[in-house]
Amino acid sequence: MYVIQAAAVRGRCAGCLMAQSGRRDAPELPDFSLLKRLARDQLIYLLEQQHEVDKLYKVELKPIVSTADQLCFLIRPRIQTVKWISDVVNLDKAAGRLRRYKIIFTPQKFYACEAVLEEQGVFGDVTCDEWAFYLLPLDDDIISLELPEFFRENFLEGDQRWVGAAGGALRLIHSLYGPFSKVYGIGQCAKMVYESWREQVEDGEQKTQQPEIGNVFLIDRDVDFITPLCSQVVYEGLVDDIFRIKCGSVEFGPEVTSSDKSIKVMLNSQDKVFNEIRNEHFSNVFGFLSQKARNLQTAYDKRRGMDIQQMKAFVSEELKGLKQEHRLLSLHIGASECIMKKKTKQDFQELLKTEHSLLEGFEVRECVSFIEEHINRQISMIDSLRLLCLLSLTENGLLPKDYRSLKAQYLQSYGIEHLLTFSNLKQMGLLVEQQPGETLTVMESKVGKLVNDKTAGKLTDAFSSLAKKSNFRALSKRLVLIPKSGEEYDLRVPRDMAYIFSGAYVPLSCKLIEQVLERDGWTGLEEITRMLNGHEFAVSGGANGTESRIKADSQRIVLVMFLGGCTYSEISALRFLGRERGYKFIVVTTAITNSGRLLEALLDNHP
Amino acid sequence: VVWIYHKSQKADEYLREIKEQGLLAEAVRQCVEAAGHEQEAETQKTLLRVKPLVCTSIKNLAHSLFSLSISVSAASFGKCFLSNFPPELFVIMCRDLRVLNAVRDYTVGIPLTHTQFKQMTVQVLIDRLVYRKLYPLAIEICRYLKTPEYQGVSRVLKHWACCKVQQKEESDEVIARTISLKLGEAAGISYSEIATKAYECGRTELAIKLLEFEPRSGEQVPLLLKMKRSQLALSKAIESGDTDLVYTVVTYLKNEMNRGDFFMTLRNQPVALSLYRQFCKHQEQDTLKDLFNQDDDHQELGNFYVKASYKEKRLEARVAHLQSAVDEYNKAKNEFAAKTTEEEMRLLRFQKKLEEEKGESLVGFSLHDTLRTLLAVGLHKHAEQLYKDFKVPDKRFWWLKLTALAEKEDWEELEKFAKSKKSPIGYLPFVEVCVKHHNKYEAKKYVSRVTPEQKVKAHLAVGDMEGAADAAIERRNEGEISTILSRCSPTTDRALVERLNRAKSTAAKK
Repeated sequence: MYVIQAAAVRGRCAGCLMAQSGRRDAPELPDFSLLKRLARDQLIYLLEQQHEVDKLYKVELKPIVSTADQLCFLIRPRIQTVKWISDVVNLDKAAGRLRRYKIIFTPQKFYACEAVLEEQGVFGDVTCDEWAFYLLPLDDDIISLELPEFFRENFLEGDQRWVGAAGGALRLIHSLYGPFSKVYGIGQCAKMVYESWREQVEDGEQKTQQPEIGNVFLIDRDVDFITPLCSQVVYEGLVDDIFRIKCGSVEFGPEVTSSDKSIKVMLNSQDKVFNEIRNEHFSNVFGFLSQKARNLQTAYDKRRGMDIQQMKAFVSEELKGLKQEHRLLSLHIGASECIMKKKTKQDFQELLKTEHSLLEGFEVRECVSFIEEHINRQISMIDSLRLLCLLSLTENGLLPKDYRSLKAQYLQSYGIEHLLTFSNLKQMGLLVEQQPGETLTVMESKVGKLVNDKTAGKLTDAFSSLAKKSNFRALSKRLVLIPKSGEEYDLRVPRDMAYIFSGAYVPLSCKLIEQVLERDGWTGLEEITRMLNGHEFAVSGGANGTESRIKADSQRIVLVMFLGGCTYSEISALRFLGRERGYKFIVVTTAITNSGRLLEALLDNHP
Repeated sequence: VVWIYHKSQKADEYLREIKEQGLLAEAVRQCVEAAGHEQEAETQKTLLRVKPLVCTSIKNLAHSLFSLSISVSAASFGKCFLSNFPPELFVIMCRDLRVLNAVRDYTVGIPLTHTQFKQMTVQVLIDRLVYRKLYPLAIEICRYLKTPEYQGVSRVLKHWACCKVQQKEESDEVIARTISLKLGEAAGISYSEIATKAYECGRTELAIKLLEFEPRSGEQVPLLLKMKRSQLALSKAIESGDTDLVYTVVTYLKNEMNRGDFFMTLRNQPVALSLYRQFCKHQEQDTLKDLFNQDDDHQELGNFYVKASYKEKRLEARVAHLQSAVDEYNKAKNEFAAKTTEEEMRLLRFQKKLEEEKGESLVGFSLHDTLRTLLAVGLHKHAEQLYKDFKVPDKRFWWLKLTALAEKEDWEELEKFAKSKKSPIGYLPFVEVCVKHHNKYEAKKYVSRVTPEQKVKAHLAVGDMEGAADAAIERRNEGEISTILSRCSPTTDRALVERLNRAKSTAAKK
């Protein structure tokens, strides 16, 4: 059995190589380490004004035990944190302790934070600074703003304070790697970020340089909620779903390391083993790893029959690399085993089956009973919620009867606090009730018109769930998101981006990007954008549009900015698309997300 | 060196002499400098002409000397300069002198020497001209010296405009129009600064008119606030897209206005409102409530009370909050939420009562968790009561009881339960749960009661290959037969495998 798999793996690798050699001229990615250096230098500058940093503490909202006569806080501009600092200062004051305090806000200071300092009466005791650290490169092609709160604040609470920061991040990339020749986007927030960036560019000085990034695509998370809510089955996505990758590193617990210690591992392209399996469907990963293990054994076995000289060379040249690879390999095998244990169980298979049925719109009643049982048996708070949202998004809302009964059962399982969760989900359009008379066919016939059903009285409700119809069925038909069922899908040789979901679904977000790049704009996609609530744009020429045509390579480097987060599966899909079409994608995201993080951000069950 | 200019025979000789001494460059430099110190325009010219002359003379020493001395043109200058004498010095001097001559004119009357001029810089000179209100001259000089627009022309124009707004005799309309015409799109003009000036002169209306020309809405806000046009300031701040600015205005409004007006203002500005709500959520819970009250947003008020309820430790306070929530939900016509909240109140009371009677900590659990706890400690009667009172779906209750009994390994009770009535969840769960708790013996008891469709699964779960095979063959289901075959190992009975294979081929034929 192994032999077959190994052969298949080799076949796959050859496929990859061919794809690469077919595009020998594939452009190089810009070097993003510059971003890190710039940020570090500024922080050092800020800290040098303080003297002798004695210890670094994590902000944990607990009282501070320190004898230092000055405290420096490096924080996000969150009201809660600032309030905590005010308490620290006030406690010191009450105890008659004299200290100096400095707050460094990153990436920027908000007036609301200063207002808190003022209200708490410590404004005069504290000095503030800003550390403009917008972008953290997580890998060669992933840059994160590390702003998980962006999602909830922008899309749920309608607070647009991070738009400026996103615009600033874009400006920074533009000034270092631009000018961009074309900017596409979809979504209200995307539009605002674009405008904020334009404004900032106009204010600042303009440089002429060789562009390294030609095209930019901005996309709001609420354009596509379905993709991040699906179970991930590509290796990197699975690792994130199960172990939660933080800032590009993951902590593998004892069940993976098969010792009593946890190990922190950086997951990026530097890890040779990981780099080869990260974008693979999980069913291929084991075969690959076992082949790799055997190759490694062969390399070790070379030692036999060596003379002293050869042995010396082996130890000094190869052994270290082999050991390193050995260590990584055993970690990834451990992780895969752990994933296998969790994910090959019967219930996970059934969960996946339900998800795929929902996406296809097939046997929906059975899905509803599956979800009901899932809730009744209290299997997983988040997973149940996820299935409910998927049901609502794919069916344009739940039938009134189901809506009430499923919600009631959910509350019985997890407590009444989730009334607030449901209220949030409704506001986001993630879990809604079908409007009477708005069956699927009626909806589809309405597509020609604006979808907003602005019946009298509802007009004032800006967040009306009506305006947030997902129209998934119609979208998936027009964009061919669901490959024909019945056909065999060979996951080892992916045909299209659907492989990241076992061939069941092409991610909407990535499909949109593909279509727009292909058409060089939104022409021909008018109906689609209407169903997605519009706010699409395509603008030629950044600062110096005509000049940037010169460097053709940069035209094939596409920066995709996800506002509200993106998943590792989407990144894998884009990497696949890039290989197929000769693009290189750089993903900039406000944070890496997955179904768990996305839904947890919308919970309101803690005071 | 000046002699050279005087066409004397000796000139050539002098020139040669100077050149031989290698002092030519120095001589030219001195001439240029001397011109700088000369007040008289004619003399300046004379001195400056020396340079091109000398330069030329190096190439055509004797004969061209006289002919060229007649006219000095820029072209000839460029063509033939002294091998490595930098032309900049000469050009700059010419420009400086033109500027100096212009300001030395009697109509202006600034008798500056070149040294003074260099010392004070162009900037200061422009400032002086501006103070004397000699705007056209200042602009001319800026253009002539190619001062960057931002520091030059725009600055002068701004001063001009600031002066213009003080002219009391003209109407607001006229002034605003004249200013916008003149300033046009000049770079770096800050209309808000001009408007500030107008405001300082007591012309608020004019200031507002001028602010309209300010392209950056953000710039307009501080002045509008100063002029107490806070409503306008708020909409401008929102227009700018800078939430920080919006927040500045909101805080300002909060302190300026009475609460009612403040809320009304926010109500018309959703962006500002959502920002302020964010702030209140962290800082002022009560204000948040007032905000919802003002809007008659009963749904949000209901949510607010629910949230408040689970911050309370005491049961009475909790129930009181929930009651308020029920009232609000009713007003919002959200029956579902009202009903659920009422049930929650009932549940809380029930939990409290039981907690006092039995000493089990229950308050705050969800219905499901309460049931599970009750079943786990064997309070079956109470669980039954809860099940009936709260109309818990049968399926949920059966699952709960099944898992609870299996966890306690109370197999006897489980059997009784299974026989109490027909299971709404079927009997496969019984089999699976028993197996999960490593009790195949108990599991087997339920296999016979499993529906035909699930029989194979049930047999496989207890590891009964024979039974599974029988069931599958009876149902002639190819898929099931394959599943069993895949579970067969080398130790499995050969006859069984053969039987399965045979059945599989017959099933496939059909």
